Amino acid sequence: MDKAILVDHLVKNFEVTEKTPGLMGAFSTLLSPKKKVVRALKDISFSVSKGELVGFIGPNGAGKTTTLKVLSGLLYPTAGITQVLGFDPWERRPEYLKRISLVMGQKNQLWWDLPAIETFELNRAIYEIPKKVYKESLDELVTLLEVEKLLNIQVRRLSLGQRMRLELVAALLHQPEILFLDEPTIGLDLVAQEKIRNFIYDYNRKHSATILLTSHNMDDVIDLARRVIVIDDGRIIFDGILDELIARFAKEKIIKLTLTKEIDTKELEKIGKVKSIQFPEVILRVPRSAAAVAASELLQSFPVGDLTIEEEDIEDVIRVVFRGEAKKLSRK
Amino acid sequence: MKKILRYLNIWWIMSRNSFSIFLSLKLSFLIFLTGKILRFIFFISFLFFILQGTKTLAGYTSNQAIFFFLTFNLVDVMAQFLFREAYRFRPLVVSGDFDLILVKPVNALFRVLMGGADVLDLITIPPIIFAVYYVGRLLSPTTAHTVLFLLLIINGLLIATAFHIAVLALGIITLEVDHTIMIYRDITNLGRFPVDIYKQPLQGILTYLIPVGIMVTLPAKALMGLVTPWGIVSSFVLGIVAIILSLRFWSFALTKYSSASS
Amino acid sequence: MKKYLSVFKISFAQEFAYRLNFIMWRVRNVMQIILVFFLWDTVFSNPGRVLFGYDRAKILTYVFGIMIVKSLVLSARAADVAGDIYRGDIMNHLLKPMSYFKFWFTRDISSKALNLLFAVGEFAFLFIILRPPFFLQTDLLALFGFFLSIALAIFIYFNLLFMTSSIPFWAPELGWGSHFLITAIVIEFLSGSLFPIDILPLTIQKILFISPFPYLIFFPIQVYLGRISGSVLLGGLAISLFWAITLWLVMNFIWNKGLRAYQASGR
Repeated sequence: MDKAILVDHLVKNFEVTEKTPGLMGAFSTLLSPKKKVVRALKDISFSVSKGELVGFIGPNGAGKTTTLKVLSGLLYPTAGITQVLGFDPWERRPEYLKRISLVMGQKNQLWWDLPAIETFELNRAIYEIPKKVYKESLDELVTLLEVEKLLNIQVRRLSLGQRMRLELVAALLHQPEILFLDEPTIGLDLVAQEKIRNFIYDYNRKHSATILLTSHNMDDVIDLARRVIVIDDGRIIFDGILDELIARFAKEKIIKLTLTKEIDTKELEKIGKVKSIQFPEVILRVPRSAAAVAASELLQSFPVGDLTIEEEDIEDVIRVVFRGEAKKLSRK
Repeated sequence: MKKILRYLNIWWIMSRNSFSIFLSLKLSFLIFLTGKILRFIFFISFLFFILQGTKTLAGYTSNQAIFFFLTFNLVDVMAQFLFREAYRFRPLVVSGDFDLILVKPVNALFRVLMGGADVLDLITIPPIIFAVYYVGRLLSPTTAHTVLFLLLIINGLLIATAFHIAVLALGIITLEVDHTIMIYRDITNLGRFPVDIYKQPLQGILTYLIPVGIMVTLPAKALMGLVTPWGIVSSFVLGIVAIILSLRFWSFALTKYSSASS
Repeated sequence: MKKYLSVFKISFAQEFAYRLNFIMWRVRNVMQIILVFFLWDTVFSNPGRVLFGYDRAKILTYVFGIMIVKSLVLSARAADVAGDIYRGDIMNHLLKPMSYFKFWFTRDISSKALNLLFAVGEFAFLFIILRPPFFLQTDLLALFGFFLSIALAIFIYFNLLFMTSSIPFWAPELGWGSHFLITAIVIEFLSGSLFPIDILPLTIQKILFISPFPYLIFFPIQVYLGRISGSVLLGGLAISLFWAITLWLVMNFIWNKGLRAYQASGR
């Protein structure tokens, strides 16, 4: 299959100057700056095929955004090879930039004091979009994102959700083959999030655009990405389909019991963590490896009418990833 | 050629946008316009009244001294008109919106330098051009001197451009734009009068190191036929070197740009 | 009294917190002085020259005087009031058991103190490198008149600033523009902080002397230089006083109207 994105042993270090507080501190920083190297990406490799939608997840500061920025040509890689559509992103060749787009949840390209349509017109000139294509593209995006009525309103009068949808229009007018989405739903209410997600899903299928998405929103990842890349502390610790993620990172299994008569719940604590009791239903959490033993113990020693063993919720697993606990697990 | 047309088109759209923003704030627009015009009137009448008393300034006649002042205004106002967007660069870098400019298939420097022409100056430029023409004629220059004047004005604008580029590049590295640009303006303001009035070493600094003299004093002198061929050649060289250095500095700054982390 | 002392302190500290802004502002002041100084230095390059009634020593003293008088009179924080109104922060202030005018006047004084400190340093520095001839006033009466006129000038400027800052009550977006027009252009030129008013034709001078502007910078320096004394001095002080009182009344009137308009619009 055709690879749209290739990343091989990518390393990115930032050099930051440590600032000492105070006026004298400012002077000493000026004279003898203390440099510190922050290693944002420590040797990561992956590839993405054309038309794939990949979710990047990981805790804050893991390197998700840095990766997107390297791929869109904003940051110069310290080492390693990156290739997108056969281009070296850092050269930022116009031919390359015309085929990609970057959307960041907290950054604007729309002209604040003007209606969004003016920015669209400007982008038409910048991306040299033929008039006919522009019109079709605009019509399609406007309908999909339901923004017909917002086009002629000053951007600063719009809500964040409305603005984000218009940002997406501005970013997609030139029909990019590759779309980098950095936290596209950040700060939006549930309805607005839903709209954006549905749109991304449709757009990916309709245009078979390759989409890389980072998000802190579990629903974004679960709804959109079949394949996820978990990145933590500058390293990729998981790359695969979402279902495998659970098998890999879930540390516990859930045992659900139906009791036939009331018992002292303290006895149950010896077998696993009691998550909830609503007689006769009891939910227990037990370590993955001990699930089978725990189940047979339960059946033998307690008045159990029914028993099931289930996987952890996907939300719980992803929460573990976001908290940065996944790294410990992956080392085991 | 096609590329130039494309950039002109983009410039036109961006300028139209910034005009319509400005025009939507009618009262502010009027206030700033009044302010600019008043400042000009105050300054020129001040100069006029001094010259009434002194007749000459540093060996220049009244008309010559006024012509220096007008030339300064011409270069200053044109630079303001073209490069107004530079004044809005800091928020772009601080918020990280600059990222979204960098990923566009259009030169980022062009966008942040020339993306917001100042409509106010569009109103003030024609009268200044007329005044330059009118006072310039009183000095009865030869055709050659007039051509030199025009060329040196362009050279002056080139130096002004280099200054602005350097300010933007510095802005990327230090996140500081507002003060450096104000200092730039204060230094160029010293060019309201011919730099001959300043004592050494200030005069030397203003001629060679921070070439305000070459930006505004020299073109006016050329019209008066007071410039040596050597002076002309070296100022063109300086203009070109300034631009090259500032562009280098800009690309260097871009490699240092670590976009604000989300 | 004690609370204003702490306002003074905190305001002083605040300027230090934004020290880059402050230093840049001082640098710009110095540049402007250099421009004016060399202009006059050139005009009076012939040491025997007397022009507009000034000799070399007096005009250069005027230029150096601008530095000190400007830091005393034109350094103020009350321009920030416009922003306070624009953002609506003013409501928090009005709820405090403290006079809003006195609060800002205290901040002005604190700003003046800091600026004077720097101005004196710059004065010494420029004096050493430029070595201008300097006119030292020794007449006690002239010095007394100088300080009195400065005090009145400070008060006049305070009122002018507050009046300008009231504009956002009615037109929030005009705050910055009106300060640009009134303080950076009109007051800058008409107060004499770029050139002495008396180089202008007599008719213009006469009109200007009825306005409050020359009493901010030009008049105090003239008193110091001994170019204004006796009955003219008394007349000038009277006009100053008249403006100080009138502007105070007008300012109060505008302010109260503005506050009402502001509350009525429910911002």
